[in-house]
Amino acid sequence: MDSKRHSLFELNRLVRESIECEMPDEYWVEAELSECRESRGHCYMELIQKDEQTATPIAKASAKCWANKWITIRPYFERTTGQQLHAGMKVLLQVYPQFHEAYGFSWIVNDIDPTYTLGDMARKRQEIILKLKAEGVFDLQKELKLPKFCQHIAVISSQTAAGYGDFCNQLATNPYGFHFDVQLFPAIMQGEGVEQSIIAALEQIYHLPFDCVVIIRGGGATSDMSGFDTLALAENVANFPIPIITGIGHERDESILDMVSHTRVKTPTAAATLLIDHSKSVLDAIDDMQTRITSMLQLKLSSASHQLLTVESKIPLLLERKLTNENHRLLLLEEKLKALDPTLLLARGYSITLHNGRIIKDATTLKPGDKLETRVAKGVIQSTVTN
Amino acid sequence: MKYEAALAELQTIVRKMENDELDIDQMGEQLKRAQQLIKLCRDKLTKTDAEIKKILTE
Repeated sequence: MDSKRHSLFELNRLVRESIECEMPDEYWVEAELSECRESRGHCYMELIQKDEQTATPIAKASAKCWANKWITIRPYFERTTGQQLHAGMKVLLQVYPQFHEAYGFSWIVNDIDPTYTLGDMARKRQEIILKLKAEGVFDLQKELKLPKFCQHIAVISSQTAAGYGDFCNQLATNPYGFHFDVQLFPAIMQGEGVEQSIIAALEQIYHLPFDCVVIIRGGGATSDMSGFDTLALAENVANFPIPIITGIGHERDESILDMVSHTRVKTPTAAATLLIDHSKSVLDAIDDMQTRITSMLQLKLSSASHQLLTVESKIPLLLERKLTNENHRLLLLEEKLKALDPTLLLARGYSITLHNGRIIKDATTLKPGDKLETRVAKGVIQSTVTN
Repeated sequence: MKYEAALAELQTIVRKMENDELDIDQMGEQLKRAQQLIKLCRDKLTKTDAEIKKILTE
């Protein structure tokens, strides 16, 4: 055994040189980030590998990315994934080993492959989506209907976000004079705390009589959407009893929140447009019924007046006919009357005999001596009964 | 919810009118009812809750 004594520095130096000698190359390593922080432009990370079954760590190491590299790596990563590097992510890093006498061992990061992280993110999202589908809640919101009279709106947004202001403004100045009652439930809309604060807001809204919920975020917010991809948030939204409209404002693929909500829109103003158009369609339906009633009425009125006219035009004819008939009857009666005129009978040689002014038809009612008056066609004969 | 019922009632009245299911007397009163419902629904869209309450209690 070597009984020579070394200084710590010398020993550490030995380790350092061995490593530099034996492992001069760079390596691509897959690992999970358990810590990630920035200090003075450098990035300090903790890498970890967990056992797949038990989730206990089986490997751990520090990693550093010096400012000169970090300055390009960071934006490259964020552009590709739409997220900031943070704990919990799986990453693929190009590293070389460094053992420093004073600072110990660390991997030094030269490069990163963000598509690996993307793949992991996508996998995690798929898992959450499958879980939601298995729970049977994935489509629940889509089965809800936006109420016809949708005017009490609960908004979850950041108070200071321009999106909320635009949304309110557009509703207030809509060209149809629709009235909307908007109430804000402020929440954190990016970074940590998104999940908890939105869930808390939904909790409050649950007990109040709103017609729908709108979750919006102004454009221009950094595209850190990871907060909107969590299982707990999705479950809360999916199970919510009234329709939720999401307009979290991004061009990338939908977040899970967008997938489970009732409707997804691209911007806060698009959400306002949706609500205005919805009310407009109800107004149009009312106007349409008004029109149909009015034209039905006109139809009935004109048909009734038409009937009236038809009857009216028949009356003179009927009257005329009736008059003619009556005239004819009168004429006939006149003829009959004429025929019954006694003067005609007298002219034919018949006479009328009267006794005391009464017409005699029975000779046995007379006794001798009665004075009789006999009317003939010309003149009157006075006579006395002899027997 | 009851405003959705008002819309549904309105649709029924219009349908009955168009299908000639109403006689002259019914027409008159159903027409009046329809006009009431139309005004109610239009107001609901354009007025605040407070204003509507006021209208209903008048």
